[in-house]
Amino acid sequence: MIPLNVRIGFFLALRAIRRASLWTTTLIIFVMILTFLNLVVISGILVGLLQGAVDAVRTEYTSDVIISTLSDKSYIENSPSVIAIARSIPGVEALTARYLESSRIEAGYQTRKESDKPNLANALIVGIDPEEEDVVTGIADKIIEGEFLVPGDYDMIVIGNYLLKQYLPFDTPGLATLEGVGIGSKVRIHVGDVTREVTVKGILKSKVDEIALRAFMVDTQFRSIVGRNDGNVDEVSIKVAGNSTPEEVRDALILRGADLDAKVQTFEEAQPQAFKDIINTFNMLGTMFSSIGLVVASVTIFIVIFVNALTRRKFIGIMKGIGISGRAIEVSYVFQSIFYAAIGSAVGLALVYGFLVPYFLANPIDFPFSDGILVAPVEQTLFRVGLLVVSTVVAGYIPAWMIIRRNTLDSILGRN
Amino acid sequence: MIETKGLTRTFTTGSVVTPVLKGIDFKAGDHEFIAIMGRSGAGKSTFLYQLSLLDDPTLGEVIIDGENTHEMSSLEKMDFRLAKFGFVFQDYALLPELTALENVALPLLMAGYSKAESYKKGAAALERAGLGTRINNLPSQLSGGEQQRVSIVRAVAHDPEILFADEPTANLDNDSAKLIMEIFAELHKGGQTIIMVTHEEQYAKRAERIIRIDDGKIVSEEKN
Repeated sequence: MIPLNVRIGFFLALRAIRRASLWTTTLIIFVMILTFLNLVVISGILVGLLQGAVDAVRTEYTSDVIISTLSDKSYIENSPSVIAIARSIPGVEALTARYLESSRIEAGYQTRKESDKPNLANALIVGIDPEEEDVVTGIADKIIEGEFLVPGDYDMIVIGNYLLKQYLPFDTPGLATLEGVGIGSKVRIHVGDVTREVTVKGILKSKVDEIALRAFMVDTQFRSIVGRNDGNVDEVSIKVAGNSTPEEVRDALILRGADLDAKVQTFEEAQPQAFKDIINTFNMLGTMFSSIGLVVASVTIFIVIFVNALTRRKFIGIMKGIGISGRAIEVSYVFQSIFYAAIGSAVGLALVYGFLVPYFLANPIDFPFSDGILVAPVEQTLFRVGLLVVSTVVAGYIPAWMIIRRNTLDSILGRN
Repeated sequence: MIETKGLTRTFTTGSVVTPVLKGIDFKAGDHEFIAIMGRSGAGKSTFLYQLSLLDDPTLGEVIIDGENTHEMSSLEKMDFRLAKFGFVFQDYALLPELTALENVALPLLMAGYSKAESYKKGAAALERAGLGTRINNLPSQLSGGEQQRVSIVRAVAHDPEILFADEPTANLDNDSAKLIMEIFAELHKGGQTIIMVTHEEQYAKRAERIIRIDDGKIVSEEKN
């Protein structure tokens, strides 16, 4: 059985809302929507800046699990055995092995005079199986000029955008870039004492350093350049099947001894500590902004309800005069606050999940280091809805309580 | 029965003390129709507020049906008002966002009637007051006379023991005022106790007894 005060409160609130000025109601709901968006979107974008970068590193580089060289080794020893172990694990959907070698890439040497500064850039040369690499990282989709490699390519490279002056969005002291290099350009690769002239087949565009600062060639040719014929690679990125988790695959690899010759990490573990620290800082900043938003919402509702109760003070007095309990009148204001918060949150939720999240996924914010998306985990958003409703109810109750506790006759007669 | 003993009400603003009621002794029996008259500022409305427990006396007592209201909490007084009193205010005092029917039903709901019962009782009462076609109108869509009739229906819908009316005809034209007084007479005929403040002699004469107040004291009493 619903208590009488609640029933009367609901009766009064329903009619107050239904017959309130449409403009006033719209304005209050609009403020609540903005408050909700402030709570969810500001922190969501902040976190999304980093999440965009995290997602990109995972998609384009590490995939779900990455096997890399131990810190005291220059490559993964017994790589064929490690790769065989990985291929035998049921949760592994696909993998790609990479050979890495430091190099210098030189361009414009054909026309350079002796007095000219060399057109050089330092880069990691990566030997890959183009088909396996594309299955795991979808890297071929990142080609913005030319074409991606195919297994038979000889003396061809695909080059990352940060190695080319025309694609580097910012000046970085100490980072040399190649000038005047495009599709079909001949460049020289210097690896140790070996020099090889190759043709630029494609240009990759990415905001992940491990892609943008690298040059890729077919692994068979890479091995012939560096003289590595033992099959030992430097990195193996593993894509995990949908029915498994990165942690399960990592554990399975470790269980089978893969960690004796290599470092086995999930994509999360492979993130640099600084990255994790920035995410935590942004989360904290987001929470701070949200808290300010919450206070603003509470103050807004407080003012709205206070003004409403103050202008209706005479009618509140009359209601008390004819025997309507103060508690029922307070409950009516609480219901009105809940209504405003609930409608504001509902419209806000529809906007966030129906428009903003899909919009930012399709059109990420173009930051130099990431493609920013809107991160709004459902459980976190619902928690914020709860916070908004609770703070609104408190902010609505207090002014109503302040007005209602005044002397009944003073309220009816408008005396202070 | 309602009775006051030495009822005194003083208003204090800063260092200024204004005595408005100066020790009034008064008695009203069941089913009486009493008019309280006096010039502006004489204290007649203040007296009505004391009788109806809307305000607390500075000194003295208000005893209703043998119960001294001095000892009641504000919550008890509110329950008491809901159970035993009905109010008609000079400016109708209808709640603007409630229809005529909802205004009448509200005290009934608060008294514990179900919504269906409250609406049925309210609609029937409005019908009897000649407002059957106006039950779903908001106060802003009613004339002053209609609003005051709704206000009276609201005041008596829950069958109160005493109906208090504070200058119920003051804002009305002659025809509407006469109609309101007809309703009061009808209610009184049905046994309703009515205590009405008015400054209009012609309407005071419809009451059984006229109490005249001046300078915070009852100066005369006459029976019609």
